[in-house]
Amino acid sequence: MSIKAPCILPMQSSRRDWLGRIGSGLGMIACQALLHRSSHAMAGPSPSGQRGLHHAPVAQHVIEIFCPGGLSHVDTWDYKPQLERLHGSPFDSELGKQTFAGVAGKHAKSFWPFRQHGQSGLWISELFPKLAQCIDDMAFVHSMQSKSALHGPAMFMMNSGFIQPGFPSMGSWVTYALGSQTENLPEFVVLPDPRGLPPGGIINWGSGFLPAVHQGTVMEIGGSAEAIGDLFPARSMSAQSQQRSIELLQKWNREHSSQRQADTLLEARIASFELAGKLQMSVPEVVNLEQETEATHRLYGIEDPDAGPFGKQCLLARRLVERGVRFVQIYCGAENTSKKAIRPNWDSHEDIVRDHGYWGRILDTGASALIGDLKSRGLLESTLVICTSEFGRQPFMQGEQKGRDHNPGAFTAWMAGGGIRGGVAYGASDPIGFKAQENPTYCYDLHATALHLLGIDHQRLTFYHNGIQRRLTDVHGKVIRELIA
Amino acid sequence: MAMQVILRSSAAWLLLGGLALCQSPSSESALEILRDRCIQCHGQRIEEGKLRLDHRDGLLHGGESGKAIQLGHSAESLLIARVSATDETRMPPDGQALTQDQIEILRRFIDQGAPWGNQNLQDSRMDHWAWQPLRPTNVPWLDTQSDANPIDRFLAVAMSKRGVEPLPRASRKELIRRLSFDVVGAPPSPEEVQEYETDLSEDAWERLVDRMLASPQYGERWARHWLDIAHYADTHGFERDQRRDHAWPYRDWVIDALNTDLPYDQFILHQIAGDVLPDKDPRSTIASSFLAVGPWDFVGQVETPSPVIKRLARADDLDDIVTQVMTSFCGVTVHCARCHHHKLDPVGQQEYYGLTAIFSGVKRGDRLVWQDEAQAIEATRSQLKGRKLAIDQELLKLSHGLLLADIVGGGNGFGTGLIGVGVDPSTAGLKQPHEKSGFLDGVVANRLNPTENPWIDSVFVPDGGAGKELAISQSGKIARGIPATGAKVWDAIRNGPVNSQFSTSLDGVDCAPPGHSMLSLHANAGITFRLKADLLDQSFSPQENPSGRFVFSGMVGYFGQTPTQGADAYILVDGQVVNKFPGLGRDDGLKSFRIELPKGDSLLTLIATDHGNGIGHDQICFIDASIAPLDPNTSAQQKDRIESLAKESGLLQGELDRLPEPRKVYGVLSETPASIRLLHRGNTEEPGQEVLPSALACVGPNLASIARLDAQSTDAQRRLGLAQWICSEENPLPARVIVNRLWHHHFGKGIVATPSDFGLGGALPSHPELLDWLALQLQQGGWSLKRLHRLILLSEAYRRSSIDAHSGTQENSARVIDAGNELLWRQNPRRLDAESLRDAMLSVAGSSNGTMHGPGYRDFEYQEEYAPVYRHQVLDSPEVFRRSIYRFVVRTTPHPFLTSLDCPNPATMTPVRNTTTTAIQSLATLNNAFVLQQSERFANRLQSDVGQDARQQAIRAIQLAFSRSPTPEEIDSATDLIQNAGLFHLCRTLLNTNEFIYVD
Repeated sequence: MSIKAPCILPMQSSRRDWLGRIGSGLGMIACQALLHRSSHAMAGPSPSGQRGLHHAPVAQHVIEIFCPGGLSHVDTWDYKPQLERLHGSPFDSELGKQTFAGVAGKHAKSFWPFRQHGQSGLWISELFPKLAQCIDDMAFVHSMQSKSALHGPAMFMMNSGFIQPGFPSMGSWVTYALGSQTENLPEFVVLPDPRGLPPGGIINWGSGFLPAVHQGTVMEIGGSAEAIGDLFPARSMSAQSQQRSIELLQKWNREHSSQRQADTLLEARIASFELAGKLQMSVPEVVNLEQETEATHRLYGIEDPDAGPFGKQCLLARRLVERGVRFVQIYCGAENTSKKAIRPNWDSHEDIVRDHGYWGRILDTGASALIGDLKSRGLLESTLVICTSEFGRQPFMQGEQKGRDHNPGAFTAWMAGGGIRGGVAYGASDPIGFKAQENPTYCYDLHATALHLLGIDHQRLTFYHNGIQRRLTDVHGKVIRELIA
Repeated sequence: MAMQVILRSSAAWLLLGGLALCQSPSSESALEILRDRCIQCHGQRIEEGKLRLDHRDGLLHGGESGKAIQLGHSAESLLIARVSATDETRMPPDGQALTQDQIEILRRFIDQGAPWGNQNLQDSRMDHWAWQPLRPTNVPWLDTQSDANPIDRFLAVAMSKRGVEPLPRASRKELIRRLSFDVVGAPPSPEEVQEYETDLSEDAWERLVDRMLASPQYGERWARHWLDIAHYADTHGFERDQRRDHAWPYRDWVIDALNTDLPYDQFILHQIAGDVLPDKDPRSTIASSFLAVGPWDFVGQVETPSPVIKRLARADDLDDIVTQVMTSFCGVTVHCARCHHHKLDPVGQQEYYGLTAIFSGVKRGDRLVWQDEAQAIEATRSQLKGRKLAIDQELLKLSHGLLLADIVGGGNGFGTGLIGVGVDPSTAGLKQPHEKSGFLDGVVANRLNPTENPWIDSVFVPDGGAGKELAISQSGKIARGIPATGAKVWDAIRNGPVNSQFSTSLDGVDCAPPGHSMLSLHANAGITFRLKADLLDQSFSPQENPSGRFVFSGMVGYFGQTPTQGADAYILVDGQVVNKFPGLGRDDGLKSFRIELPKGDSLLTLIATDHGNGIGHDQICFIDASIAPLDPNTSAQQKDRIESLAKESGLLQGELDRLPEPRKVYGVLSETPASIRLLHRGNTEEPGQEVLPSALACVGPNLASIARLDAQSTDAQRRLGLAQWICSEENPLPARVIVNRLWHHHFGKGIVATPSDFGLGGALPSHPELLDWLALQLQQGGWSLKRLHRLILLSEAYRRSSIDAHSGTQENSARVIDAGNELLWRQNPRRLDAESLRDAMLSVAGSSNGTMHGPGYRDFEYQEEYAPVYRHQVLDSPEVFRRSIYRFVVRTTPHPFLTSLDCPNPATMTPVRNTTTTAIQSLATLNNAFVLQQSERFANRLQSDVGQDARQQAIRAIQLAFSRSPTPEEIDSATDLIQNAGLFHLCRTLLNTNEFIYVD
């Protein structure tokens, strides 16, 4: 058995000694300031003074639940009585050829009945009985659209505003703008579905052309102390040997740096080892869900073989936010495979009931627990919860199948907490949910609204890259005031 | 068209400004407002709405919306209405609206009768420095440095103006380490360091530079910089990130082009149009893969049937190509003009689509490197195959007897039949090889379909079941015990594979004809052979068959995809099931059978059924199924013949196996160019008028005509035209851009800090005269990059120390005056980039595998899926210890270790890498399995270099890692660590030090 003890900065006393000895370069205070803003001190070009907040923020944190594969809005959030009337009648076959699979079947009403809930009286389908209880905290955007009907590009668009890969994700932009509240944990954490990565892979949380410190750090929910890559050495070694090594390393680094006064990068790297030591202590602590009560475990459905993993992701997200992590992204679903079984994500081409039935219960359990838990701890006010997919699904069957094809023309995203007015709906799709009709919008407006709540003007958060001052919202985006409390 | 006076000089501007200034002495003039806010879209180059506001006639004449002004009546003037509008009709549409003061100036201007000379307003963006011709400058004369490198003389002028004193030359050990990482991407060995430090000859540095530039590692190092710009990877990217196994020849081409110092204009030409050059050099074809090495969306381009999605994917594809060509060679960000005119540079949307049209015949895919080579190989293959076929056929007859497959193919049982011919089991219709079918329509189960073939009694589609009797011959024979089926059937009973045959191999044996005979029955199908004694006796003489008895033998297997329980096979003699193979699957492999036939006439029936689970992939094949004498009387002569034929066949197969595959490269598939339309707001569903191929106007109107072509022009003409435009010596951009890129890598920062953007949004050159002087040096020096490297490397500026030992508080110190080191008073220290750090670790650990060229090393586990899965691993094999340039680069799954060190994502073009320092990065350099592995190897190397003495190990370790001798104190500390923690820990520590990771 290997012993994986924290190894970078061993004992508190020696750490203090260490800090005390940085006489030549930066003092202790300067060093800590550096740690605190490490990303910025070490980053490349600064975005011309846009570092701080543009206005007072309401939200401090974001937890984004991403349902990859294409969550069917017409079976879940977006009630379409007209579709019940058209049920069974054929859809326009010419229009149907424009879809991803190129073949439209008959109109199909929701596979789950809709009911009104809460004081707001908003509609939600019976796929989500628990989330229905949270409806007065949720704000829906029913007029979302995507510029691509393909998973990869549409995922990239929802995450970065661009259908091409290589642009910074929203979590990267937010942490680039705001930095972190904690030096003990990464500022942007991603919790992928344990079944695998979503379509498009880790580029979904890449920092694009922003400095690498802003890319999402993947954290495993397995409960192992080594929840992030390379947290501990890949082989066992004695704590004492490691301690000696680190002491010599930092001694040599300080000597090297003291001869090169002009170079803050060298100091920053010395500090980064200190920060790494903190990660070694905090990460095993935060991923240890055993610290939570049994009631909390029950709330998140941790023991449930299907819903348990997502419950763990949601619970871990709450723990991360509690400890100051700025942005957490949770994936509820993985990449497609060629296996003929329940789909590993929401991409229900052949069988809506089988796949959405499975994933619906998972999302319902975890997301409702998260909202309720954040609320009861007083964290919901400062935590913006976003739930979205890359696109919706069609209001008709895919040919002769029992599933629905991709629909970039309309889908629903919702938000809760963090300054969001609950129990409201914004925008609307057409009477059957085929195209966005009232206040049609893209991810830009959702992003602009989220940034606004975080105290950021989306038009002023820019970064120069290959000829353009780039923005998360490209040249678009407006804050959806109707959703703000 | 009216004569136009082009005003460029500032004197002319003063005149013009003065003219308007008379009208409004204290503020901006009306003409200045028009010049700065209007003529970008209503001028000589772009005439939005057919309106021109760059001369008075245009203002009076108006455009599509009517007259722009009513002379003397500002209140009725459209111009005023539009600039004061608050809805989407407002002009100008972008940026801030005009202020009330500006609108008032325009009002007064109109009311006063629009006083304007006959001069045209010139778009001031055309005056931008980068579009101007290269300006020859005399190298500045300095009394003190008369023999100095011209570069230093340019830099000295700028420094003396600011009163900045440069730092002295760096030490020799610093210099050789800097040069080595910079030019070949690896640290110098302690021996090289010592040799240079003790070489006191005057030209020691010059010889060192020349030696490094001549090293093949130079190409490997500098190819990395170019591949960053080309966003090269070995997979497609996007959702289904499939492998591109033939991408690497392009990477090798770049390495070789740099090593052989291919003139840079040729370097450009070959990468844009190498595949359509008349010389047909395979290397040029590989070079043109530059256009193809970026990401490509399989799902959008191929998989989806939706034309809308396909159009968008193709538009993105062309955008990627245009962007790559124009930013890498010219430093112009034309992609900003995809949805609207460029916001900063004088590039119209029209021009963007003109460039798109240049590449509209370019598609991406695997292609042959050299057609002639492929043809030669194919000719040899076909000749060998012909010889082998003749031999195999004779062999089959001699060794196997009468082949049923051959009979189905219309033959005599001894190889005269045609491979691929078959019989439709539902009709007995003859099917030629090209007549492929899927599911057969109108199938009637259990109907006996007689055939014309003397050997084949009938065929049928079986559907049995409990107690059900199936008619299997015209003579009325009945079969029992055949299971119920779906009564569906696919294709025909064939001599050889059926339509969409999953595979012809089973148990590792390729059963494909002509090496074997293959009788395929896709379920559900049955066939009855009529084995008449007299016919059989005609085939085998009494000498060959003394007993007069016959045996039916061969093998049967399930050749579809299903591993188990796929389909069933039955063999019946005279209606009795004599052998059955229920639930065969791929895992069951090949099953042999040998059945003695009764004396006299008999009926032999073969049946394939679906095992009750549908007929998908239910390919039952009988291999080498033949009727042969029971006790053959094979003569010795016959045996010899069989033996010699078998041997010859084997030899020919060996030759076939050894034939090389024609070389392939993932590159350009040249097609007839598609017509390109201007897309409103870049939307593929809103096409406007057709745009013909053309280049940019801003670099010079005369030059632009080179690449202006008509709609009928070929792909070759278009790309050659553009290449000619780029490479023309009148085009100042390519030389400036590449000179700046070299400078950027040698100094850590370009003369222009935005190496792929020389436009108005980019940085201004810190030393414009030097930039032009270097660019002219390149053009006049035969476009040799190595010559330019040498010029730079021999400068004092390059050799300056990076370490400012002064306290830096004096007001006149360089650090205070020029903290950003714009003037290059010192060399910039740099952190190693990700690949160099990995290569350096391999190098000091003694692990490096110097193998050049060829397919990349794969340090990942690959799993075939709808979207393939790549899991990076740390492998312990010399293959993966090659230099990082040879890494198989997976686009959507970036390498975790290298990414933590700012290795860029190959989804985007990266002219400047970020250098970040993060805790995650420090965890990676401390704990990543690769670093631990190399620390271990480093330790082993030290032991083998200097033995077990800790002190000696410490000295050698520091020499290797830092390229210098250790201080006594360092030796003590290191020895102490070895003795108390172990040598491994010292190695790991050294690989993590700032001194190892930074270059002074």
